[in-house]
Amino acid sequence: MRPALSVVAFTLLSGAGLGALVLVAFADLAGRAGLGAPIAPAVLARTGAVALALTAAGFASSSLHLANPRNAWRSLARWRTSWLSREALCAIAFVPGAALYVAMLFDDAVAAARVPLALAVVALAWLTLYCTSMIYASLKPIRQWHTRHVPAAYLLLGHASGGVLFAGTLAAYGDVPPAWTLGAALLLLAAAFVKLDYYAYLASDAKRLTLEEAIGVPHGVAPAPRRPPPPGSVMRARLLDAGHSRGTFLTHEFGYAVSPRARTLLRAMFWVGGLLVPALWLAFGVREWAGGVAALAACLAGLGAERWLFFAEARHTVRLYHGEPTT
Amino acid sequence: MKLGLVIDLDTCVGCHACATACKQWNGASAISGPLSDYDPYGDDPSGVWFNRIRHYEVGAYPESKTVNVPMSCLHCEDAACVTVCPTGASYKREDGIVLVDQERCMGCNLCAWACPYGARELDAASGTMKKCTLCADRVHDERLPPEDRQPACVLACPTHARHYGDLDDPQSHVSVLVAERGGFGLLESLGYRPVNRYLPPRQPRPVVDDGPASRASAAEPASALGRLAALARAALGR
Repeated sequence: MRPALSVVAFTLLSGAGLGALVLVAFADLAGRAGLGAPIAPAVLARTGAVALALTAAGFASSSLHLANPRNAWRSLARWRTSWLSREALCAIAFVPGAALYVAMLFDDAVAAARVPLALAVVALAWLTLYCTSMIYASLKPIRQWHTRHVPAAYLLLGHASGGVLFAGTLAAYGDVPPAWTLGAALLLLAAAFVKLDYYAYLASDAKRLTLEEAIGVPHGVAPAPRRPPPPGSVMRARLLDAGHSRGTFLTHEFGYAVSPRARTLLRAMFWVGGLLVPALWLAFGVREWAGGVAALAACLAGLGAERWLFFAEARHTVRLYHGEPTT
Repeated sequence: MKLGLVIDLDTCVGCHACATACKQWNGASAISGPLSDYDPYGDDPSGVWFNRIRHYEVGAYPESKTVNVPMSCLHCEDAACVTVCPTGASYKREDGIVLVDQERCMGCNLCAWACPYGARELDAASGTMKKCTLCADRVHDERLPPEDRQPACVLACPTHARHYGDLDDPQSHVSVLVAERGGFGLLESLGYRPVNRYLPPRQPRPVVDDGPASRASAAEPASALGRLAALARAALGR
């Protein structure tokens, strides 16, 4: 699939923003419940404001990939079947709720009323993240997306990058409580495990389809062999002509291929920048807020590489009809 | 009702007449026309087509066969493109035809991603998704003579490789063809229950070879005069 920068930016920014807002709400709830040292609402409010700005920027970016944006308002219509419609509904409900919540954090006067709102922010953030991931995970023609790894990785990476943002803002205004440092590090670790398993799934043959299956060789679209074929041999097909002399919408949208070299580089960028650098900062330098800014930048760059690869490595079944042997 | 096409891979010669007839009819159609072209007379021509024909070699030479596979919307019973559409622009009609309401589409491309067959193409000029309409504006048009109430691609096919009808009716011409010839759907493992069927190529009868003796009996006389005499005999029918 062709990686659209607007969608990469959308999933990256809103993922981190929603993850951070979930952590802000949890920190607020934990403080009110008397679990650990409470974090000052003013600090939480600043973190929440940054996270909300990232989320809103992400949502705005998502509309940039529409070819006919004046009909975007209609996207709420089919929430019964469409994950994109559900995501749009959740996002529209989330932004004003989260804005009100962050405003209440800035003005600490009505602390008790904050609790139900904090719970609503958490629920809506999770729903939004899940709906976004299911837009991709529900598409059966793309085996790289049609897997439970996709929602798991998207939710965990959103929370992990949100955790780095959260810890970075806490470090800028004081100390990061050790429990939150550990929590952010565990989120990075969990995301790493899911992505390891995801890349093992990509390398396997699970759900892989072939050109022969796509054009119906198993149904008899094959010449009768004059001699019995050797046991275990497979009837192969190849594209002679795609029927067009230049590119089409299909080759433009689905034909994108990432070179093995770029893939290796971007995966390294994800592992090192996206996960290792923030983990090292959390482990050894969490008092340095400047280091936190660098760790957050590395994390977002690494996760940007991961999001870009998520599209670039996805191989739609349309590619089979254009002559690729497998998806 | 499940209106759809049955495409005979045995007789299809890959001439693209169906695709050009489709482009001609639907380019002027009110349902989703025009079908925009980009740089049509330049170095990099491209544009929107509802029907594309690809050519494959199946098997390894000399035991190989050329197969031409025309592909347009398969009007799936469980159409994922309709399921994922957030605006309700994509819909499936009672007669089985899947259409896009051009007034509602926001051009998000999600339906094109959900379709395993590449049946949908975004028109960059209008910013909306376009697809095969099964010529919905002519198949029910009672002003046309009955034999013309068929999709443009079916009418244009010079080898009668394309058939149109109701695949819900077991007595229909298309259903009988599917039953007789072992018609199949594309990528049915994905579970979208495509309505359009493809008929696999017929297997050729083996050539009978009686051995060297029968070939020797037709041996030609050695001299030019003898060949002339043989020709004369053949011409006189003796």
